[in-house]
Formats: sequence, structure tokens, C-alpha cells
Amino acid sequence: MSRINRDTYIALFLMITWAVFFWTSFDIRQIDYGTMGAEVWPRGILVILMALTAVYLFQSIKAGPDAASDEPFSLKGWLQKYHNPLWCYALYFVFLLTLPVLGMLIGGIALVFCLLTVLGNRTPRDLMIHAAIAVVSITGMWALFTYALGVILPQGMIFTTL
Amino acid sequence: MILENILAAVQELATFKTVILMAVGTVAGLIAGAIPGFTIAMAVVLTLPFTFGMPPAQGLATMIGVFVGGLSGGLMSGILIGIPGTPSSVATTFDGFPMARNGRPGLALGLGVWASFFGGTISAVLLVTLAPQLARIGLEFQPWDYFALIMFALTIAASLAGENLVKGLIAAAFGLLVATIGEDSINGIARFNFGSDALLQGFDFLPVLIGLFAFSQLLTDIEDRVRARQALTETGAVSAKIEHRKAAVMVLKSWVNLVRSSFIGVFTGILPAAGSTISNILAYDQAKKASKTPEKFGTGFSEGIIAPESANNATAGGALITMMALGIPGDIVTAVMLGALLIHDVIPSPSFISDTPVLAYAIFIAFFVANFMMLGLQSGALRLFVLVTRVRMYILASIILAYCGIGIFALNNVSFDMWTLFWFGIIGYIMRNLGFPLAPMILGVVLGRIAELWLSRATAISTDISPFFTHPWSLFFIVLAAFSLFFSAYQSQRGRKTWTLFFTPGLLAALSVPMFMMVGTVRPVLGGLLLVIAAYMLFKIHRRGWKVDPADADVHRLSEG
Repeated sequence: MSRINRDTYIALFLMITWAVFFWTSFDIRQIDYGTMGAEVWPRGILVILMALTAVYLFQSIKAGPDAASDEPFSLKGWLQKYHNPLWCYALYFVFLLTLPVLGMLIGGIALVFCLLTVLGNRTPRDLMIHAAIAVVSITGMWALFTYALGVILPQGMIFTTL
Repeated sequence: MILENILAAVQELATFKTVILMAVGTVAGLIAGAIPGFTIAMAVVLTLPFTFGMPPAQGLATMIGVFVGGLSGGLMSGILIGIPGTPSSVATTFDGFPMARNGRPGLALGLGVWASFFGGTISAVLLVTLAPQLARIGLEFQPWDYFALIMFALTIAASLAGENLVKGLIAAAFGLLVATIGEDSINGIARFNFGSDALLQGFDFLPVLIGLFAFSQLLTDIEDRVRARQALTETGAVSAKIEHRKAAVMVLKSWVNLVRSSFIGVFTGILPAAGSTISNILAYDQAKKASKTPEKFGTGFSEGIIAPESANNATAGGALITMMALGIPGDIVTAVMLGALLIHDVIPSPSFISDTPVLAYAIFIAFFVANFMMLGLQSGALRLFVLVTRVRMYILASIILAYCGIGIFALNNVSFDMWTLFWFGIIGYIMRNLGFPLAPMILGVVLGRIAELWLSRATAISTDISPFFTHPWSLFFIVLAAFSLFFSAYQSQRGRKTWTLFFTPGLLAALSVPMFMMVGTVRPVLGGLLLVIAAYMLFKIHRRGWKVDPADADVHRLSEG
């Protein structure tokens, strides 16, 4: 186990992913129109990917364990390190899920306000500033796309019932 | 005929709205380029959604304004605060910042601005003259040649993009795989849709591109909780009055350096995936080697500002040459422009200039005009830049994240594209953190379907693979692709390992073979010339006793520095 480093894990994960794709490539309908089959090109890419990943795996095993591999993995430390990106992804995910309900305008304002509050300071003054920034920036963009560029952005259930 | 096309293109561009949009684009590019952490590609990507509703010429002119502005914007922060705004201005900082610290910030900025202007203008002239010629050569290409060209674009991208070639190649191949998801464009057969109807359509490459590149870049910028809450530049930028007249005279006086650096920029831009990040360092290195006073470099020497700034702006012209003549994006920015053309049902290919001459000439003219706009708007942008540096990073990132979603929705009016943006944002962020370069993957996604199409056409003509090696252009690109695989090793070991002595002569000799196979007299003669140069280089190495020259390692040291 001492010879396992991060790259080895990644290489193994990638190899499994390519294997799944390769297996799935057998579901691609085969045709006989005298042209190259639809499965040929992706399978060719997957063979190359597997070969390259095998080289990557070999390189990673040859490189030996990570310098910091002796330190035990701490979930708390990991969460702290990736605090901002994780919050951003989580909020964006919620924004996309609630888009049919809240619509782009309300959802967008809520997204920017939440992002600013999570990433920045949370004093009452900052919250006021964040709210103002969220309203002005998203309303401005929404108006620009809706009226100037003629794009009909998702209105959401709340907006349409109002 | 040409005159008619030029006049028609001028008519397309000479509207109040287009001029204003170009000016706004140029200022936006200047500011975005000046902000450390924001790249030109991101600025162009964020401009794209605004251009959906515009006519093609207007939209592309706006994006070209952002592109040219961005290339010049990096010098402001590089010179005034010592942090290059974009990787394109890394070498500008070597002499620009010391000159500013020595009490001449206005002259340093002036040198940068005028070198950018002349570099851009030289490349605009080369764009107008070279692109149609290259397109004429492109018309000779057969399916085997095209496929080999795309493979070369991917291998050189993988080779130049990161430290680990294997990771670069995996990223490129992964991009090709992503492009296969959905119905195939030849027979309409479903592939890798895992039962999902939404996936049948495949991924539009712009949400993929913006997710991979812009989304993940923003999250990388705010990863550090303390830095995310700080203003964009903690040191604070100090404004300075640009010394235009003196700087223009100084730039023109060192015209040899200017022309050499501009040509380096154009040539680097023509190479697929080799952008201004590389050209500014190459030009700086060559200027230092050619200088009679190399010891002055790094102390605030004017030549050290002129070389990188002229080269990075000239790169834009080179990248546009490849995109317009061959339909192959020179870098991420031209990949986005290629996307913009596809949105307007314009397919870039060798026949692009002859099929849509008005649009092609509009691009030429817009590029030319954008350089003048950059020159005129730099002083105003400098004041704006000082204001923007007070904004905190997390505020900008939050607004742009929301804007990415709105902009992407506007592409096809479907929320699936926003989900694509989200998932590829995660993939891009993970790839960045694991050291996988994103540029090869983006090129893979962009070129995947085109590559498959040409391969399919080639195999429809013949299932024999020998035409890949018997067609001169195909062999030419295969040779380049093979050598490009060793290019990153060559760069890092140059000046230290003996094998690197044979890399360039070997490449030239190998390239002479397909040149000899080409029809006519000019190309075989050029092939002979390549062979003679290769022999001369070997003779020089022989006279040196087959020993490496440690001075050759300078470029690598500079790029690492």
C-alpha cells in the first residue's frame, strides 16, 4: 500500500471509467451503410485512453508514494480547504433545481446574495451591501437580456402567478 | 472583387452601434486583461452570450475588440504592480515593473502600449496577406490531411499545455470522447446517452467550454478564503500618465526588435494551441540573445518591454490566420470565436474566405481597427483599472458565476445547457486540481466531431490506412505530431541533454520528406532548403564537439520564472 499515491488512485478511477464506456459502446447500434460504424471512432478513442492511462498508472507507481502521504486524511481539513468551491457548487446546484419555480430573476438574485454572504463577511452592513449588489447586478443583466437582446429567460412559477 | 468585398465589409462595420460595441469590447478587454487571475479567454467567453443576437460581423468585431484589448491590458498591472494581468504579459513584468519602480511608469506603459499597437498592426497586415494564401493551400487538403492536421493540433496542445505530456494527451482524448456523446453526426445513431433523451442531443460545446474554463477558473480564484475577501490587488495600483510621444519614437527606433518579436508572435499564433503565453517569453528571450547589452535586461530596459508586448499582440493575428484559413482554432479564444461563427451557421474551413468574403474581410478590418481603438482607449482604461482593483474578488466571482448561467441559457434557451455548464464546471475544477491541462480537452471537444467526420470520409474512400503516409500534407502533419510529442521534453531538457541537439535538425530533415513529395517546384525546393539547414545545424553542432550549450536552457528558465 505504501507505493500507492494520489495519481495511482486517479489512474485506477480513470481506467474503470473508460472500461464502463467501452462496455457501453457495445450498446451502440451497428449499421452496414458502407460508412464507418458509429462505434468505431469512440472505441478507437477509448483504446487510446486506456493505453495512455496505463502509462499514467505505470508512471504513478514508479514515482512512489506522495511526500505528504504519512499525514492522515482529515475530512474537516478537506472541507475547510474546499469550503468556498463546495459552497459555490452546492448553491449553484440548488439554483438550477429551483429554477423552474423561482425563475432566473428571483433565483439569480437569491444565488448572488447567498454566494456573496457565504464567501464574504456577514455583518449587517455587509448583508445590506450584498443584497444591493445582488439586486442591481441580476436585475440589470435580466433586463439587458430580456429587453435589449430579446432572450426570454425562465420566468418561474412564482413570477407567472404574480 | 477584393475591393468590393472590402467596401461591403466596411459597410457592415461602419455603423454607430458596431463602433460603440467594439470600443466597449476593447475597454472591457483592457480591464479584464489587467486584472490578475482573469484571462483573456475568460473575457471573450463572457462576451459571447451578448453576441448571440448580433449579426455575425458585429458579434465577431466585438469579440475581437475584447481579444485585442485583453492582450494589451495585461501590461497595466504587470508594469504598475508587478503582477502580470494575464500569462501573456509575464515577460513584460521583467523590465516593465523595474522601469516603473525607477520612476518612469508613464514611459514603461507607453512602450508597452505602442509596442502592442505596432505588433498588432504588423500581424494584421500578415493576417490579410497570409490567411488567403494558407486557405488556398487548405483547399488542397483531402480527408487524410485534415484528420492528420487535427491530430497534430491535439498533440501540440497536449505537449505545450502542461508539465506532464501523458496527462495532456489523456485530457485531449477525453475531450474527443465527450464530443462523441449523443447522436453521431454521420448516421444519427445514439452513443453513450445512458437512456437519457437530453443526452441524445449531445453537449453544445460552448457550455462545456465555459464550464471547463471560466467556471472552474473562478472557483480556483476564490479557493483561498482570505484572498477571496481581499481587493483584486492588495498593493493598490497607482495611475500614471502615459508618455506617448517619447515611447512611440523609442519603439520605432528599435524596429528590428519590434519586427522580429512580431513575427515570433504571428508564427506562435499560427501553431495550434501555442498562444501568447508562449510567444511573449520566446520574444523576450530572442531579444535578449540578440541584444548588444543583454545585461541590461531585467533592470528596466526598453527592449525588454517592446519584445514581449509586440509579440503577444501579434499572436492574435496568427491565431486568427489558422482559424480563418483552416478552421482550426489557434487557442481557446479562437475556439470561442469558432463557436460564435457556428452559432451563425458559418462553418470555418479553407473555403471560408472564398465563401463568405465579406465576413472574412470584416474580421480583418475589425482586427486592424481594434488595435487603433486599444491605443486610443488605454489611458481611459487605466483610470478604470485603478477603480476596479478596489473590488473584492468574491464579489466579482459571484456575479460572474450567475452571469455564466444566464448567458449560457441564452445560447439555445434550454436549461440543459446550464446543467452542462455546472457538471463541466466540476470536471474542470477537479482536472485543474489534479494537474490535467484544460486547453487540450477544450480543443478535443471542439475538434472531435470534425475529426470523426474527416476520418469517416477517408475510410469511405478507402479502408487502407496507407494514404495517411502517402499523402504529402498528411505525412507533413503526422511528422509534426510525432515531434510535438517530444516537444515538452525538448523544452525542459534543452541545453542539458545531448539528444536535444538533434531535435530541430531531425524535425527539419523529416519535414523535408513530405515537401519533396509535393507537386510543383517551389515546395520540393523548400524541402531541399530544410535539408540544407538541418545539415548546417548538424555541422555547427559537430564543430562545437557535440556539446550542449547551457544558454539554450534560458527559455525554459524564463517560462518557469
